[in-house]
Amino acid sequence: MGSSRSSLSRVPDGQQLLQETGFSAAHLLRLHQRFQFLDKDSRGSLRSEDLEAALSENPIGVRIVGAFFQPGQETVDFPSFVRVLAHFRPTEKNRTRDGVQPDPADSRNRKLKFAFQLYDRDRDGKISRTELLQVLREMLGLQVTEEQLQSIAERAIQEADLDRDDAICFDEFRKSLEKVNIDHKMSVRFLE
Amino acid sequence: MATRGRSGFCRSLPELELLLLAILVLLNGTVLSLEPATSSETHTREGNNTSKKPFPVIGIMYDDVSVPFEISLWVLLASLMKLGFHLIPRLSNVVPESCLLISVGLLVGGILKLARDEVPPVLSDRIFFLCLLPPIILDAGYFLPIRPFVENIGTILMFAVVGTLWNAFFVGGLIYGVCQLAQDKYSEINLGDIGILPCLLFGSIISAVDPVAVLAVFEEIHINELLHILVFGESLLNDAVTVVLYHLFEEFMESGSVSAVDAILGLVSFLIVALGGVLVGAFYGILAAFTSRFTSHTRVIEPLFVFLYSYMAYLSAEVFHLSGIMSLIACGAVMRPYVEANISHKSHTTIKYFLKMWSSVSETLIFIFLGVATVDGEHHWDWIFITATLILCLVARVIGVVGLTFVINNFRIVKLTTKDQFIIAYGGLRGAIAFSLGFLLHTDHKKIFLTAIITVIFFTVFVQGMTIKPLVELLAVKKKHEAKRSINEEIHTRFLDHLLTGIEDICGHYGHHHWKNKLNRFNKKYVKKILIAGDRCKEPQLIAFYHKLEMKHAIRMVESGGGSKLNSSFPSTVSMQNIQPKIQSPPSARPAERALPQLTKGREEEIRQILRTNLQRTRQRLQSYNRHTLVVDPDEEGFDDLILKKRRRMELDWKIKEMTNYLTVPHAQGSPTMSRARMASDSQAYVKPGAKGVPSIQIDLASPQSPDSVRLLDEVGQDQGLTMSLPSSSSRAYKTGGKDDDRDQQKLLRCLSDPGPSADEDEDEPIPT
Repeated sequence: MGSSRSSLSRVPDGQQLLQETGFSAAHLLRLHQRFQFLDKDSRGSLRSEDLEAALSENPIGVRIVGAFFQPGQETVDFPSFVRVLAHFRPTEKNRTRDGVQPDPADSRNRKLKFAFQLYDRDRDGKISRTELLQVLREMLGLQVTEEQLQSIAERAIQEADLDRDDAICFDEFRKSLEKVNIDHKMSVRFLE
Repeated sequence: MATRGRSGFCRSLPELELLLLAILVLLNGTVLSLEPATSSETHTREGNNTSKKPFPVIGIMYDDVSVPFEISLWVLLASLMKLGFHLIPRLSNVVPESCLLISVGLLVGGILKLARDEVPPVLSDRIFFLCLLPPIILDAGYFLPIRPFVENIGTILMFAVVGTLWNAFFVGGLIYGVCQLAQDKYSEINLGDIGILPCLLFGSIISAVDPVAVLAVFEEIHINELLHILVFGESLLNDAVTVVLYHLFEEFMESGSVSAVDAILGLVSFLIVALGGVLVGAFYGILAAFTSRFTSHTRVIEPLFVFLYSYMAYLSAEVFHLSGIMSLIACGAVMRPYVEANISHKSHTTIKYFLKMWSSVSETLIFIFLGVATVDGEHHWDWIFITATLILCLVARVIGVVGLTFVINNFRIVKLTTKDQFIIAYGGLRGAIAFSLGFLLHTDHKKIFLTAIITVIFFTVFVQGMTIKPLVELLAVKKKHEAKRSINEEIHTRFLDHLLTGIEDICGHYGHHHWKNKLNRFNKKYVKKILIAGDRCKEPQLIAFYHKLEMKHAIRMVESGGGSKLNSSFPSTVSMQNIQPKIQSPPSARPAERALPQLTKGREEEIRQILRTNLQRTRQRLQSYNRHTLVVDPDEEGFDDLILKKRRRMELDWKIKEMTNYLTVPHAQGSPTMSRARMASDSQAYVKPGAKGVPSIQIDLASPQSPDSVRLLDEVGQDQGLTMSLPSSSSRAYKTGGKDDDRDQQKLLRCLSDPGPSADEDEDEPIPT
């Protein structure tokens, strides 16, 4: 533990990140190593090309990469990198980490919010029909016709849209996923 | 008055059945005893060859049909029992079906023993392992929910392998200790005589959780998916362990000595049995998938391939002493996605219902035979042995589950709670597999072992089976979600899958999603191309799911009384108009969706009259009857247009308008009948085959794939009355969308679903019987 503490000092904002995200020191170090690996030019920050190089043929790859960058920024530094990845930490019910007691409902919400923002690129708080169509197009590619995409999008909005504003807001999004175990689905096990 | 009468009738029905049952059984007994009498009679007849015997008007020749007759009687008995239980809701709510069936078996066994003083050996191992068990396992394997199974495979394997081993050695070892302690040289069977190896063999037989019993009980309690798949998966996979241990200990018993080499060979043999079984199953599964690629012209025998290949997989595995159950599961699970993409939807329904039927009958028969076989057979009741076995089994199960969960929870994201552990431990039911394996034993102490096994089975099925439902309620364990997946869930789940794969790639972590993604890509790129016929191999799963949803919705619409949906957000046209005499709009039907006025009975009669008189000619043009070709069902053709686009619908509306201009009908053209008919029939008018008196032809105006029907209509043109000839301009409009339509046609034809006897079910889940 002592050695990791000392090497933690190499990580920018190490202590603060530990508290904020709930990662353990070992995890943080591993992430830092990964960050440095991705950062080929050793600039201390990543550009979108670096991240895209890691992704292999992911239909929504551009979106995922985009989620790391704040609007208007071109680079992402390590703290932001870690903050985004913190959304995918498995929530453990009884973990107290320096006084931060994770609340399961809250973490579920945070994960869902993150996913929602991936759909909602223009950040207006709603998934409009066009945004949904874009996502479907990316996922299904060239294998389906435009009309089929339209009908699927139609049906999806019809099902989820409860307040009839022809778009899916965050609450409706959350409601349509209430049967899915988000904690399980949106967690990556960093254990090795 | 009426209701009282009905309930009285219902109450008397099971009694009638019991009566019928008793009669059947006695008939069985008496007929069987008559058999030697009749054969002797014919012998004497033949002896007096010289005297002319009168022509036998009536004779009894039971010999020839005895075996099939008896089998049929048993199956009939089982089915009647099943029928009876569901007519008495009070009983079937409290007592699980398996208990009732065992009781019936006991009853029948008792009757048979009284009647003939001997009981037919019905639960012989050959009948059980070759005929009764495979349908149940195939049903389970074919409809295995793959996603939860694979997600929890680690846990399941731990429980199946380590748990069963622990149970076997714990029970076997401790029962040996008990026997040694309780030996009594003066009693009939000296417990101390039972060696360690027979005890271990006994332990291995009794420790396996039985899939049949688990299925029977868990189906009725509707527990949440995770627990169900854990216990059920364990019961399936522990077959390999049981097989290996059983053969191992049997070998050891014969050879008399155990060495370290043997133990290591046992371990190797376990791997071979398990993996070999899976490989054999996968091989046959791929064969089946490949065969199904070519069955587009012989749709009638498609289900047969599924059944045959699976049964072959089971038998082949049994030949090599591999695990037949795992082979069957692997075969079903591997072949399912490809076969379903290839076969017609009618075949799919056939497979589904045949499997459900066979497995249901099998299960019933197994439990009844268990009861019968209990009455038969020599038992030796030894209090100490049996109570010790019972207690040890329970204790071993609890300790095993708790210990394993403690270890497993470190590796799980969703941990297992205490409640979960309790249900898993409590759900470890023993069943007929243990009994059959015990039956096969060759040791001296078979009697006492069998009695103990039967007692444990009875205890688990009766006590645990009956109490698990109230316990589940008491502990407020999460139940199964009854609702089906919505399209949103599907879209978002896939989105999250991609997202997680991406995140894992960014982290450089080769996790769950990474490998799943790789497997999917491999599947899409190579495997699907080989195993799936035609264009379907390129269809993404989301689209298939969406089609299925639309179909189900359309069927529901049609069943709820017809009426076309003019709701603009549904581009798929649900435009079936049932011109049936009994279109009563049930008050519970959603009136908001029906945008058109219902035709009154009189008008419908008129319309049908018109159609009948004017289109009767076309009937003679149909193909000659051929048993081997599936008659084109008007319903099936009708679903073609369900995913047509909006503009096509409008095109058709236009065409109909033009068409009705050609109609020369005895009634005035502007009659309210015709105009209402025109409004009501959106794009097509279908005559459902069930409608009284109307010939079953299709007035297929709009389907681009049936040039025949267009030609038909042309031919009708010469007759009096109706002339329906499509305006030529419209036929040109058809050809433009030709290729697309063909593909759509194909997709639709496969996506069909028969409105089966039961309500919509999610086809991924096992249907409760």
